[in-house]
Amino acid sequence: MNYPVWQLGFPGGLLIATVAVLHVFVSHFAVGGGAYLVLTERRSYRHNDSDLLAYVKRHSKFFALLTVVFGAVTGVGIWFTIGLVSPEATSSLIHTFVWGWAIEWVFFFVEIAAALIYTYSWERLDRHTHLVIGWIYFIAAWASLAVINGIITYMLTPGRWLQTRGFWAGFFNPTYLPSLLMRSATAAALAGMFGLVTALRTSSPVRERIVRWAGAWLAIGLVLLPPLGWWYYAKFPGFAHEHFAEIPAARHAVLWGVICVAVAVLLALAFALSKPRRMNPAVVGVLLICGLAGMGSGEYLREFGRKPYVINGYIYANDMRVSEVERIDTQGVAQISPWAAAAAADPVRYGRDLFQTQCASCHSVSGYRAMRSRVRGWDETFAREILLHLPLTRGTMPPFAGDEQDRIALGRYLASLAPATITGANEMEVGRHVFEMRCALCHTLRGKRRPLDFGGMDADTVTDFTRSLSDLSPNMPPFTGTETERHALVVYLRGAGK
Amino acid sequence: MLAMMPVPQVDPMAAPGPLWLLRTLLLLTFFLHLLFMNTMLGGAAVAFVCAMHQKRSPFAAQLGRELGRVLPAVFAFTITLGVAPLLFLQVIYGHLLYASSILMAVPWMGIIALVLLAYYGVYYFSLRGTSYPASTVAVLGVATVLLAGVAHIYTNNFTLMLAPERWLSLYGPRPSGWNMNWAEATVFPRYLHFVLGALAVAGLYLVVNGLRKRETAYGRWLIKRGGQLFVMPTILNYLVGFWFLVRLPADVRMTFLGRNQLATVLLGIGMLLPLAAIVHLTLAGSNESPVRQAAVGIGSGVLTVAIMVVIRDILRNAYLAPIFRPEGLRVAPQWGVIALFLVVFLAGLATLFYMLHALATAPKAVSAAAGGLGK
Repeated sequence: MNYPVWQLGFPGGLLIATVAVLHVFVSHFAVGGGAYLVLTERRSYRHNDSDLLAYVKRHSKFFALLTVVFGAVTGVGIWFTIGLVSPEATSSLIHTFVWGWAIEWVFFFVEIAAALIYTYSWERLDRHTHLVIGWIYFIAAWASLAVINGIITYMLTPGRWLQTRGFWAGFFNPTYLPSLLMRSATAAALAGMFGLVTALRTSSPVRERIVRWAGAWLAIGLVLLPPLGWWYYAKFPGFAHEHFAEIPAARHAVLWGVICVAVAVLLALAFALSKPRRMNPAVVGVLLICGLAGMGSGEYLREFGRKPYVINGYIYANDMRVSEVERIDTQGVAQISPWAAAAAADPVRYGRDLFQTQCASCHSVSGYRAMRSRVRGWDETFAREILLHLPLTRGTMPPFAGDEQDRIALGRYLASLAPATITGANEMEVGRHVFEMRCALCHTLRGKRRPLDFGGMDADTVTDFTRSLSDLSPNMPPFTGTETERHALVVYLRGAGK
Repeated sequence: MLAMMPVPQVDPMAAPGPLWLLRTLLLLTFFLHLLFMNTMLGGAAVAFVCAMHQKRSPFAAQLGRELGRVLPAVFAFTITLGVAPLLFLQVIYGHLLYASSILMAVPWMGIIALVLLAYYGVYYFSLRGTSYPASTVAVLGVATVLLAGVAHIYTNNFTLMLAPERWLSLYGPRPSGWNMNWAEATVFPRYLHFVLGALAVAGLYLVVNGLRKRETAYGRWLIKRGGQLFVMPTILNYLVGFWFLVRLPADVRMTFLGRNQLATVLLGIGMLLPLAAIVHLTLAGSNESPVRQAAVGIGSGVLTVAIMVVIRDILRNAYLAPIFRPEGLRVAPQWGVIALFLVVFLAGLATLFYMLHALATAPKAVSAAAGGLGK
């Protein structure tokens, strides 16, 4: 409400996710890769292995080109993106954690300086000093992760911060430690994974030694992930556990993440550790894809887990403060937001703007999480009634904030997206469509989620039931379909699943 | 209602540090960022010109190579030092910056892509070694143009954040973020002022570099050329600065013309110091023992940048005075975390010093890491 909304044509959350996943993929490598560099260098000295030393020198250049450039710039990219998509939440994070970020900036600065010196001083520094610079790099990089981890996990589990508003209460929150350990294991795995990338450019027999060494990093990091991930997940908020149990998108992401880790473990064991001679670009390519996809799955689940919030219990995913909803409900959006007020004279634009303000951080009209398919067949009355009960339809939805006029405008806009007459081959099929459109947002038929069971009831009783929905529960919108649709629904409710 | 000025409310949480500290850190880190950014942008332009003349002038070729070696690191620290002021800026002016950034979200977000391309372009040039084919020179030229483009986008956003009266007229027709602030009268003189300043600071960098090699003909060439690179853009900057001043809104302009004594004095000093720098650097360029004059010239130049940073801050607050005064911010300092930051900051400086010292004192040709195994 406080800020304009960037209407970029697809959900802003998707942009954040894209930039963030690319960044964390490289930035975790930047952490683990630091330890990998310095331990590989030390190993080359201990084993008097000049081939390994030549490899680690080349690897350090690849490392710097990827982490110092891409890693650093995409890190700034996350700053830019969250400020554009969630300015309210970004402002809140800044006001809570600016000194945490300032501390992290010092580590970042030292990290970049050490990375450049380490990479370009192979010919100048003695072994001991060079190794020390390498350790400085790694410690600074890991410390940077340890600070950022506190801020990221706070958004998921702010813990006592919600009561105290204290820096440390938010920073050392319930998911801080498991997340930090899990990210550290990820960093080790990615160090091994990227170690394999440059290992491909070496030739036998040194190549086998390096592949096995990098493969060990990969395997150790990966096998630590499931128990740490489980611990991390156990500390998620209760509502997140419900989302994960009920919502297919979350379950699919979990499955996707598990598959990525499993495939990567198998490839690490089969190629890097058992048969390093057989390691080839295709396998490394698959490993990188698994790494990126697994990282994407992990970040997606972390963000999904905190829905409907962007900062759990404080700011909703659509950048609206929890404390503001009541005031917006009372006064109306146009009264509060000058950005919306400018459009208030044009009802069509106003409805669209409300959609952009309250829905578009997660939904698009026809693309990702498309509304057009979700509101197919909705009439205006039904749409504006549903807006009263969004958190009930799905626990991941923030409430609609606005007065009656706002609800009418947004309801009208939603109903205009996909007007359709419900059809079907027979009454049963029409009834099923009506059920899916009007009831399945909150209910299942003899399923787990708010189950309905009309088995054994006569048609008149069920028909009466559909005429008095609002009396049965204030959370139920009235049935606003045609009489034909009502009849078909009754047929379906009585007959389905028999 | 429709006439409501869309100035976002400041965050309901208090600023977590005293304003003087936040402002000091903002200005200090921005000053450092500016030195590196100017060296980067100006240095890339100089390296490009040198690479173009590599066959005609051996000194130019050498300078191109030297800049090629150093620019990736300058780029890294430009970014690193840019993060800090952006951080502290958000505590004080975040509500204005977020709004203006959203209005021009596409170019603002485009900065990331442009910087990434320019960064790899500079690395490409840097890693090409000692002589540059036309394609490599072209890559550096493109990188330089991209950096100049980034600077232009910054100028647009940092002026747009001061002009909420323009926001609704931009947002209404184009909520997609395809906006620039070209309607602002000061955008072009301001941009030109900064770009010319970048060339001048790059000139100072050449003089510093020349002083280290002043016993050689190349070192003296650097001092002379560096001085010229400072002098020419700086003379032009007097004209551009005047253009900038007259394009300011009358109320804001008066801040620097007597209404605010500090601002007026600083502007006066900011106009005199470059004169001192011009004189000393010109003399240094033709002097057999140029150290003292060059040092005064460099000092005056760097001090000018520092004063311009403060002037820029006063200008920002003069623009915002009718709608926002930082002094009105609610403050609740997190002293414990601030103390920890200072400790980490000092430890970071010490670590940095250790690393640079180790590098500076390392014998050039010897390396145990590379100097053979088994010793």
